[in-house]
Formats: sequence, C-alpha cells, structure tokens
Amino acid sequence: MPATQKQRDVALHHADIIEQRKRVEKDVLDAIIDLMDFPEARNADPQRPSPADALRFREAVAIFQPSDYDALIEERNIAAKCGYALCPRPKRKAPSAARKHFIDTSKGVEIVDRRVLEVWCCDDCARRALFVKVQLSEEPAWLRQGGFAGDIELMVENAGEHPRTLPLRLKGSSSAPPKPADVEEHDAALAWQARDDALADLAVERGEKPGRLSKANRELVQDKIRERVATKAPEPPSLPTHSSHMAIEGHVPRTSRNEDDDEDDDGQDWDKHLPG
Amino acid sequence: MADERENYSPNLIRMWRAFRTTKEMCRDRGYEMLEEDYQISLSAFAAKCGRQDGEVDRSQMNFSCLPSAEMAKKYTAPPTAKNPDPQPDIGKIWVEFNGDENVGLKQLRDYMAHLVDGQYYSGVMVTMKPMTGMALRLLRGAAGIAEGPKGGVEVFVEQDLLVNITKHELVPTHVLLSKEEKDHLLKRYRLKETQLPRIQVTDPVAKYYGLRRGQVVKIIRHSETAGRYASYRWAI
Ligand SMILES: [Zn+2]
Repeated sequence: MPATQKQRDVALHHADIIEQRKRVEKDVLDAIIDLMDFPEARNADPQRPSPADALRFREAVAIFQPSDYDALIEERNIAAKCGYALCPRPKRKAPSAARKHFIDTSKGVEIVDRRVLEVWCCDDCARRALFVKVQLSEEPAWLRQGGFAGDIELMVENAGEHPRTLPLRLKGSSSAPPKPADVEEHDAALAWQARDDALADLAVERGEKPGRLSKANRELVQDKIRERVATKAPEPPSLPTHSSHMAIEGHVPRTSRNEDDDEDDDGQDWDKHLPG
Repeated sequence: MADERENYSPNLIRMWRAFRTTKEMCRDRGYEMLEEDYQISLSAFAAKCGRQDGEVDRSQMNFSCLPSAEMAKKYTAPPTAKNPDPQPDIGKIWVEFNGDENVGLKQLRDYMAHLVDGQYYSGVMVTMKPMTGMALRLLRGAAGIAEGPKGGVEVFVEQDLLVNITKHELVPTHVLLSKEEKDHLLKRYRLKETQLPRIQVTDPVAKYYGLRRGQVVKIIRHSETAGRYASYRWAI
C-alpha cells in the first residue's frame, strides 16, 4: 500500500536525521577532546600557527555551532588553558580571587568579571578566537543544507604560509613541486580530486554514506529529472502523415480508426483471458 | 547536638550530610557497609575530613566498597546451558568527591582512567556543581565505550545529597528485582516488559538506587485502606 510505504519512508528519513544528529554530536565531542590539549607544540605561536595545526583546527570546528565553540573554550579553561585553541599558553590569572576587577583598557578603566578576565591569555587571543566564532553557523550541522564544511578563516600573521582555499587532501602527495611540464596535468588532477571531495562532502551533508545513496532519501524524493537531449536539429511542427483530421487533442476517436488497430480493444475480448 | 554544630563551619556540616547520604545510598543498593560507617557523627567526620581552616578536605571523603553476597546474587543472571556459571554484573565501586570548582571533560576522563586502572567495576563522582554539557555528553555515551569502567560512571551534585530522598515519607519502598525474579514476574502475569509502567533512570529515586535500563523495581506503597500493595516499574 502506497500510503504505508510513504509513512515508512518518512519514519526512516526521521530516523536517519536522529542518527545523523547523534553522529554529529559525537564528532563535536571528539573534536573538543582533540582540541582541549591543542596545540601539541608548547612553543606554538597563535599569531603564526603551523599550516598543519591551522588546518586541523579549521576542519574540526567546521561542524561546530557557536555554542559548541563556547563549550570548547569552557573545557580548555577548566584545563587552565587559554580559550583560543591555537594557543598553548595558560589562561590569564586574575590578580586576586575577587569577583570583579578594574582593568585599564583603551576606553579607560572598566569593571570586568573575573570569569571573563580568565578566559584568554591575552586580548589578542580573544580577538582571534572570536574571529572564528562569528563565522560558525547557528544551524546544527545535521540540518545544514549547504556549506557543511564551510571554510573557516583564521586571523594569522603568516597568511602566505597557508593555502588560501581549503587544502586538498591528496593521496600520496609529495612535498616536491611538480615539474613545469606536468603542471597542466597536475592542475587537472587537482580539479578532479576537488570534485570527488566535494561530491563526498555533499553525500555526507545529505546524510548518506559517501558513495551510497540512502534508500529512504532516494524514495522520498520522487521527482525524476529527465534531461532533454537534442538528437537532431529542431524543426517546425508539422502534421503527422497518418493523422486524421478527426483527432481531438491527439486522440483519435474509435470510429475513425483502422480495422486492425481495433482488434486489441475489442469489447468482447475480455472473456478470452478467463480460465475455463 | 546543637552545641556541637556551632563548632563547625556550615560547609563542613553540609559535606557531612552529603557523605552520610552517599554511604546510605551504597548500603541501600546492597554494598557491604558497617553501621558506624554510615552513621558517622559530625565530630568523627570533622576529625577525618576537616582541615585546619575549618573547611573540608574532600579527598579524605573518597571510599570504595564491595557488593554484599546478596547484592552479587541479585545482579547475577540465572545460569543457562550456554553460560552455566554467570558472573555478577556488579563489583567494587569507587566513590569520589571532587573538589574542583568546575568539572569538565578533563576531570571526568581522569576519573574514568582512574577507575579502569584501579579495576573498579563502576564509579560514583560527586561534584560541587553540575558538570559541563560536554562532560555529560561523554557520560551519556560512556556506558558502552572502552574508555570507561564496565559498570559505568554516575554523577551526583553535592546539593542533591544533602537529604536522603528515600527517607521522605511519601517515597515508597523500591526493591530491585533480580533477572530471575523479573522473568518470573513477566511469566506469571503473561506480560512483556514493555507492557509494564516505566521509570526513567534519571528519576531521582532511580538514580539513588543506580537503576539500569531494563531492570524492574517493585514499588511497595502503604495505603490506609488497602494495607500494603506492590506495583512494578520497568527502568528505561
Ligand atoms: Zn592565548
């Protein structure tokens, strides 16, 4: 029955979304655990992060909502670290345990809550961290239609060392630059690679396992798109050679049909198929 | 008694109450516990866990205990042909009072590692304030993951242990059924467990008894007209 099948598909689709939500929540948790003790190098510079660190950070937070990012900052602070995940330094310590503190700022003296004061190691890290936060999507990753892995930009002083676009994960890529003769071929390979990556990302974004279309999804979307393919040059419409002037909107009433056409539709035909 | 209390800081008295409730909770679940242990006097508690400045040294409050023979039996599934000698699904528990102002993933993961290292079956962590959302997320998913102990980790906030809710007159007696008793009950009434009324494992009383999903508790109420009557709930 089509109605129950449809209901089953809808239920499957919702189960899919719940499954996806669980997966994203787990991924966010794993990312936060990973970024809690980040970066590994004790002398890493948050103003000039290594390309590898920067990439790991950007990829990890791409699925975050701003609240997840706040959770990351909270967890780092509990571990006494600066809230900015690219900074290895400890968070700032307020001069005393008092709840409010007077702080000299460019706008004069301000009263600041101790908790706020102790989030970062310095104001510079606060700026760089918030620069990332404002780019995060409010929409949960399991509901995002586009830009699942939206590229997150960082505020860095060594921009030249970082690839501008989302770096491509090349299989077995070597650090040596390609020879000039290969450049074109290499570019083409990169383009195909990028396309494959994008398709894989798109599949994930739609809740499908990469390379496999979810059954529930496929059956919910029933519209079929058929491309119009031109096989010959267009020509103006003309009357079909055998068409009758009796045709009504293309339908030829019975009376004007040929005798042999009529045979299949004979009113007496039906009893031939009955057993006995 | 009133005079005695004046000698101690409100915080110390608070922690004394939380300590006693925690001990009672372990006893009520069926762990081995001496009477003098869960009825510790305020002065004895102060001598054990009090600091020079009148505050509490929470690390002195930590304890472990073992299931009684009766508890172990209750947590052992009946033997089958496939498993003729089933082991109890319970074991040594480690109870820790965390003194950190904020508890997050770091403390929870350290705690889980400690339970695994010490070969504890399960753990109870008592915190000053609720854990972070991410720590709770880890906890929710921790029952099945390799990172934690077999029996999982439970978390309580000190505030929730200041009084023992099961001592309240309106809270009926809850008795956990063993797997065997549960099977027997379902057979006798020709029920599936899903047909029983439910109790959430997050319900405060369910939390007190450490109910696990799938277990059944017998709830005994006292009624003026009907005397005592029992009902059953399936933990979800
Ligand atoms: Zn910093």
